Amino acid sequence: MDVFLQAESLSKSFGGLHAVSELDFAVDQGEIVGTIGPNGAGKTTLFNLLTGFLQPTTGEATFKGESIIGKKPNQIVDLGISRTFQIVRPFSNMTVLENIMVPLQSPKNRRVNKNRMENQRRAAVLLEQVGLADKMLLLAADLSHGDLKRLEVARSLAATPDLLLLDEPFSGLATKEIAALSDLIKSLNDDGLTIIIIEHKLRELMKLVKRVITLNFGVKIADGTPEDIARNEAVIEAYLGKGGERFVTS
Amino acid sequence: MMNQLHGLEQSLPASPLHWKRFRAHFAIVILLLLLPVFVKSIYVIDLLIVCNVWAVFLSSWDLLTGYTGQISFGHSLFIGGGAYTAGFLSFYLHVPFWITIPLGGCVAAILGFGLGLPALRLKGPYLALATFAASAVLHGLSAVFWLYSGGEDGLYGVGPLTRNYFVKYYWSVALMVVCSGFLLFLVNSQYGLILKSIREDESGAEASGINVTKYKLLTFIMSGFLAGVAGAFYGHAQMHVGTDLLSLNLSIMVVLMSVAGGMGTIIGPIVAGYLLILLNEWLRVIEVVRVLIYSFSVVLILLFIPRGIVPTIISIAETLISKIKSPSRS
Amino acid sequence: MVTFLEILVYGAVQSSVYAMLAVGFSLIFGVAGVVNLAHTAFYMVGAYLIYTLFSLSGLNLIFSLVVSVVLTGIVGILVQHLCIRPLIKSEYSVMIITVALAMFFQEVLLSTFGPVDRNLTNFYDATYKLFGMVTIDAQRLLTLIVAIIIIICLWLFIKRTKFGRAIQAVAQDREGSVFMGINPNRVYLQVMFISACLAAIAGAFIAPTLGARPHMWEHPLVRVFICVVLGGLGSFEGTILAAIIIGFTEVVVAFSLSAYLGELVAVAIILFVLCVRPTGLMGRRAA
Repeated sequence: MDVFLQAESLSKSFGGLHAVSELDFAVDQGEIVGTIGPNGAGKTTLFNLLTGFLQPTTGEATFKGESIIGKKPNQIVDLGISRTFQIVRPFSNMTVLENIMVPLQSPKNRRVNKNRMENQRRAAVLLEQVGLADKMLLLAADLSHGDLKRLEVARSLAATPDLLLLDEPFSGLATKEIAALSDLIKSLNDDGLTIIIIEHKLRELMKLVKRVITLNFGVKIADGTPEDIARNEAVIEAYLGKGGERFVTS
Repeated sequence: MMNQLHGLEQSLPASPLHWKRFRAHFAIVILLLLLPVFVKSIYVIDLLIVCNVWAVFLSSWDLLTGYTGQISFGHSLFIGGGAYTAGFLSFYLHVPFWITIPLGGCVAAILGFGLGLPALRLKGPYLALATFAASAVLHGLSAVFWLYSGGEDGLYGVGPLTRNYFVKYYWSVALMVVCSGFLLFLVNSQYGLILKSIREDESGAEASGINVTKYKLLTFIMSGFLAGVAGAFYGHAQMHVGTDLLSLNLSIMVVLMSVAGGMGTIIGPIVAGYLLILLNEWLRVIEVVRVLIYSFSVVLILLFIPRGIVPTIISIAETLISKIKSPSRS
Repeated sequence: MVTFLEILVYGAVQSSVYAMLAVGFSLIFGVAGVVNLAHTAFYMVGAYLIYTLFSLSGLNLIFSLVVSVVLTGIVGILVQHLCIRPLIKSEYSVMIITVALAMFFQEVLLSTFGPVDRNLTNFYDATYKLFGMVTIDAQRLLTLIVAIIIIICLWLFIKRTKFGRAIQAVAQDREGSVFMGINPNRVYLQVMFISACLAAIAGAFIAPTLGARPHMWEHPLVRVFICVVLGGLGSFEGTILAAIIIGFTEVVVAFSLSAYLGELVAVAIILFVLCVRPTGLMGRRAA
């Protein structure tokens, strides 16, 4: 089987700070993988490296066999990787609908369709999927935080990705909102979309993903099923300190 | 998927390019076309020719700065570049205007590309300075090669468009309609959506798959081309190209008028151009007042109606209209 | 040998004017983040004020100088408080409103004095022979000396006095300086006053040599901007170094090649630098 996403010895240093060190991992097509780790573990840095927002100091990463190192963000989107941002960044002075229309202008999408009405319909469908259809004509600046999070997801989907990177999609959301978003993510994965999710809300994340990669201080310290991770000593120590198993009840 | 859309179809906005949205614009064009029937004064016609040319100067600037956020204080690079190209070709080689004007645009487009490349990496004051400097280089070159360029005085005797003022007027209306029409079409199309996203958040646009570099460069080229064509046209209309077309003053006036009209709207700068040029002439009777009103008004606009004249008026109009339609709501 | 010394002397005069102007521009940028495109308009106002008070009305020189400089400083404060402060959040808005003000001053002076070059009387009529070989007039020499004194005083003021340290504090961390009991807005006003006064001094001293025109603010603006970017936005020492480089290069090229090429030199240099190193030579702040 062709390797889908693979990272080899990926490292990123900022002067003396090693944000990511010698990261090796692979993700197969169709997987839904979680990435966890304490603050500063390098999770978002990893996403930035995989999407062209940062260039690694050393190491290599390939997607569907093609190198994604040295490429610009829009080129990587063209290859099929799309992402959301930890802190939402909508196009504030544009309407919700327009926000979704923008990724539909990417070369990848334009190869399929250039017609405006068609794009509008596609955008409307996506907004329906995330539950924002009724807010279609509002300015993004007027949306609540929860809605903005959903807009981020819809925008990332509009880029027609084969691999979706979600950076803390649940942060700032209420329980009901998390459940709805979780269902959406699940159904997207059921339809074949490969997804990697960074999250701090471990309980919700573990229910969703089949595999978890744990980072600490830029290094991968664990890679396994949610059950394995919950019992992994290194992971517990990373979050709770030495002797932290005492606090884990299950 | 189709059943999902059933309720949504009606709420989808109509294409912004639908002709109904431009009824006001058409009306104004018709007004401009009919004007010579009522106004016979050469003075006024000449003034309107200037207004029409400035409309293109300003709207081409707005495409660059108002839509992609790359603030340019050097628009005279394109205007003067196009004008002098046409001037040289016409004065020395007697090339007819219908060749020199497009060529002037092409030269300005190349200058646009040349400026656009380094501009990609520059932001804020650095970009402003680069644009200042670029037009200053051209200005300086016209001084260095004063033998050919006519130095401070420029070149007198550039071939005319036509001897008939009214025909010249209609040519200028055609210029304005074609160029501004093209720009309006562009910014309301999906291309315009892309430009707006670049202005809003470059990184976000890149994350959406947009090749920001390509669009920024394309915009520099288009903005340059249109400004160059208008500059070349102006040179032929005045039968003279001078250093005022390469000056910092010109670049700054373009900035101020466009900002006063409302950046990022295309229409705003055009309207401001007509208003301010006509106001300036009308006030010439009372010199002191003219200075105070004309040049200080821009400062006041920036402080009190920062979005610009046209967007503010449209907002007020919309609020008034909705109040009239449903007076019970407050 | 004579030419070399001439270049040295005239280059020094040129550089000193640029340095005085650029330092003021750099100051208000470094401290308040304000790109004051009306800075050289203050230089012009200073020139016209000294023209009106000294050349036209024949008032006492010292009195005229003091009034010109202080009045311009006050204009600077008004500009900062009324026009810049409301827009301080947007760098672009500040640039646009200050350039609008520069145009306003230009238009006012144009309609008051007309477009004609105004000749000012020298402060002191004399010529000297420096190093026994180079002739220089008193006005230019005075400009050079005054510029050097003022820059040294300014440097000492910023590095050694309490007020100067307050300026540095606000420049480095606006929010933090509030906790130290410093009022950033007051500091901005004070810095703008100093900046405008510096510009006015430059204008007043060099105007007898160059004349006064309503468009005289354009040419130095580009060069001052160049000096500040070349030296690194916010760097005092860098700005002075850049002013020296630009001033001398212009004079060298003007002497050896042509005056017109001398004009081009500065802009050509900065375009090259911006292409290669977008943050200038000594810049601490990224674009």
